[in-house]
Amino acid sequence: MTRSLWTTALALLLIAGGTLAFHAEPVDDPEVDAPAPDFTLTDTNGNEHSLSDFEGEYVVLEWLNFDCPFVGKFYGSGEMPRLQETYREDGVVWLSIVSSAPGTQGHFPPDEMNARNEQEGGQQDAILMDPEGTVGQMYGAQTTPHMYVINPEGTLIYKGGIDSIPSTNVDDIDEATNYVVEALDAAMNGEEVPTKTAPPYGCSVKYAG
Amino acid sequence: MKQNHVSPLPRTVGFGVLLLLWMLTPWASATAQPSDDPSPHSEAALVSEVETIAPGEPFTVAMHLQMDDGWHSYWKNAGDSGMASSIDWNLPEGFSAGEIQWPHPTVKEEGPLVTYGYSGEIMLLVDITPPDDLESGTEVTLAGRGDWLICEDICLPAHADLETTLSVDADATPDAEWDDAFAQARAQHPRPAEGVSVQAYRSDGSFVLELEGDDLPDEGVRFIPGEKRTISNTAPQPVMRDGDTRYLALQASEYADGSTESLRGVLLGPDGFSWSMSDRPHPALAVDAPLEGEFTGDLSALSEAGTGASSTSLSLWGALGFAFIGGLLLNLMPCVFPVISLKILGFAKKSGEQPRIMRRHGGLFAAGVVVSFWVLAGLLLALRAAGEQIGWGFQLQSPGFIALMALLFVGIGLNLSGLFELGTRLTSVGGTAQQKASGYSESFLTGVLATIVATPCTAPLMGAALGVALTMSAVEAMSIFTALGVGMAAPYVVLSSVPALLNRLPKPGPWMETMKQLLAFPMFATALWLVWVFGQQVSIDGVALLLGAFLLLGLAGWVLGRWPAMQVEGRTWMASRAVVTTVVAGALALALLGAGTGAPASASTQPTDANWQSFSTEQVDAVRDEGTPVFIDFTAAWCLTCQVNKRTTLSTESVQQAFDDKGVHLVRADWTNRNDEITQALSKFNRSGVPLYVLYPGDGSDPVLLPEVLTPQIVMDALNELPDTRNDNPELASERP
Repeated sequence: MTRSLWTTALALLLIAGGTLAFHAEPVDDPEVDAPAPDFTLTDTNGNEHSLSDFEGEYVVLEWLNFDCPFVGKFYGSGEMPRLQETYREDGVVWLSIVSSAPGTQGHFPPDEMNARNEQEGGQQDAILMDPEGTVGQMYGAQTTPHMYVINPEGTLIYKGGIDSIPSTNVDDIDEATNYVVEALDAAMNGEEVPTKTAPPYGCSVKYAG
Repeated sequence: MKQNHVSPLPRTVGFGVLLLLWMLTPWASATAQPSDDPSPHSEAALVSEVETIAPGEPFTVAMHLQMDDGWHSYWKNAGDSGMASSIDWNLPEGFSAGEIQWPHPTVKEEGPLVTYGYSGEIMLLVDITPPDDLESGTEVTLAGRGDWLICEDICLPAHADLETTLSVDADATPDAEWDDAFAQARAQHPRPAEGVSVQAYRSDGSFVLELEGDDLPDEGVRFIPGEKRTISNTAPQPVMRDGDTRYLALQASEYADGSTESLRGVLLGPDGFSWSMSDRPHPALAVDAPLEGEFTGDLSALSEAGTGASSTSLSLWGALGFAFIGGLLLNLMPCVFPVISLKILGFAKKSGEQPRIMRRHGGLFAAGVVVSFWVLAGLLLALRAAGEQIGWGFQLQSPGFIALMALLFVGIGLNLSGLFELGTRLTSVGGTAQQKASGYSESFLTGVLATIVATPCTAPLMGAALGVALTMSAVEAMSIFTALGVGMAAPYVVLSSVPALLNRLPKPGPWMETMKQLLAFPMFATALWLVWVFGQQVSIDGVALLLGAFLLLGLAGWVLGRWPAMQVEGRTWMASRAVVTTVVAGALALALLGAGTGAPASASTQPTDANWQSFSTEQVDAVRDEGTPVFIDFTAAWCLTCQVNKRTTLSTESVQQAFDDKGVHLVRADWTNRNDEITQALSKFNRSGVPLYVLYPGDGSDPVLLPEVLTPQIVMDALNELPDTRNDNPELASERP
């Protein structure tokens, strides 16, 4: 009797272990035309924001690292602040996300980040801190910048590079097609987004480990 | 005096701050972008292969790039991040420059990203064509601006003004200083394949590169795409071998736009590998293979690995391991246990026999189990291949099968309780070959029987292992089923081959007859349960017909017992056996007739509890869109684990109350009968059988899968993890920590 009890206990243990082992399932990066996964992050002013808070509005997610020269191209030239200001006036929510791990390039404590943002002229709604890279990896953010556009229904309508010319050269901004602009303008006019994905370009996101 | 004391302190502090700033400044400027050095951590220069150039005669120059240790620059396709180096030429009138001839890159892993580039020293060669009308004796200056990104952990843009002056002569003369460097650079250029044929195919949205040739490496082959939008840089590139052919599975880039017409890039072997070439081995092959339609071979194993699993072998071995353990656990299932007990009884009875014979019995039992698994698996795979929507336990969705199983269990029960004995066992008492042979076939058949009755009890591990199996190639799936069978038979093989263990079994004696008769009752209980399942699938008329079949079976058993083979002869034997055959045939007919009576009015797809909605993908999606949490109970009447969970957990008051408190929408997906929609839903979770418990939180995040064996606590814990969807309810909101 005792022996069979032991056997049963062992079996249950194995069942539990096996069940747990099979529950770690890989998460795929979100795809365009599919729901953008929800997340909650704290901004540099200590406020929490969830993607789901902005249901009914267009949301732009911008992966940010101020010390990356590709990001510098867009802030130094004033292009990124200009886009942020323009689209926020149209009711778009613009969230910059910093997935740099502490101790890596682009990570600053909240106060320093705010000071740096002021210096760079950032006009986004919030800078969200993602020091563990959870949201960055959830979205498959590879580079800074890496852009995602989400429509009022919560569907991802664009992901990829900010524009069509991968370079750090400010002069290329005017030559290039800005895919975020293209996606937002098309979607807001009820048209199909012409380019739904484009390869992201920039510095690698400085994830932890 | 006091004032004099005050001043030195701030001065010291001030000096300290200055010192600190001074110490920090160089460090800071080294990590931030130094604006004064246009090419940090690297130097570039324009060098020429020739000292003098001749009119109209092309020559080669190079941007020579020297990088500090630990820093790197990028190839023409930088990969997931970074930027290709470039040269913006400013050439004299009439000169033209070709494209950069890139050395083959190396693969660099940057965290979760993969990039392609160079470290150390490289030469980026460019062919320059001068005009025909150059005058000898003059000098020309070639100029341009080189731009590159220099990266360590961080990246800095770098540029250099490139310039070199060459004199014009009737003939070009090489520059001895750079000869070797150019030759070495050319040796690093990818070269078109020789002796290796490369073909590219589409394969279900991704790609397959087929290589054919002698001495190809078995693994470690890597294709580096020359363009950004073709293949994923991070996905593994599993290799399948087939004689002299290698198939490389390449996962399409998530940024692919579907316009890929050919695979262009570089093929590298494992570290230190060189491809055979006619003159000398070469490290990198240039690939430019147009995509030639859809790949037709069997690559299921490869694509499985290519879509994110970090290693094929690991997941296959893991699945095999779990299948083996699952097989072991099957022995403990309530529906298998009686059959297994019989087997142990058999062992006890035969424990006096020679070890050789015992081993053979164990082996045959194992063979019976494994062969039955193969038959079931083959059937499952064949039906899958034919496009049928089925899963594990599919045979139990057929009322006919259930009816025959129930008859089988009743038959076994009657036999065990002593109503009749099957002939052969008593025909001869001596140790004749015939008896041994029948004993052997019995061992085999017990294995078969154990497997058949085990199938309803989808042990939790088995469900997962089978889910994996059904997404794999036929060969791998069969290996999984083999592992299951071996696992199930393992204890008996061990028992039968270790005489010491056998000796510890109780000695044979009259107790065995008592035990045998007692074991009839689990058999009857199983039959009872099968009748209940049968009743879910057919009408009450069907159940009555099946019970009638039991009656006939009882009659046949009685005839066999009343006129046993030993004691009757000639016409009596003939007559009694004719009656038995007829009556058994009648029983079978009744059972199948009952199975054909069709579903009862309250079909089992209608859940009996009022709280539960029946399953429909559309409705579940709709409810989820509303932000309501949804719990789905994938179940079936023939699934014992499901029924136990329902009784002990899901139907309990506390759990129901918890569901209610959280506003969870309850859905029951009843798989008792075939239902393609539910089969599809199961396969989304990589499962091929029930039970499966899925909890969708209301916030659109990923569903939570609960274990197959539930307790109220597990469900409550999962519910407590739910995001609070009732923020508008102040009472609930205040309860949150």
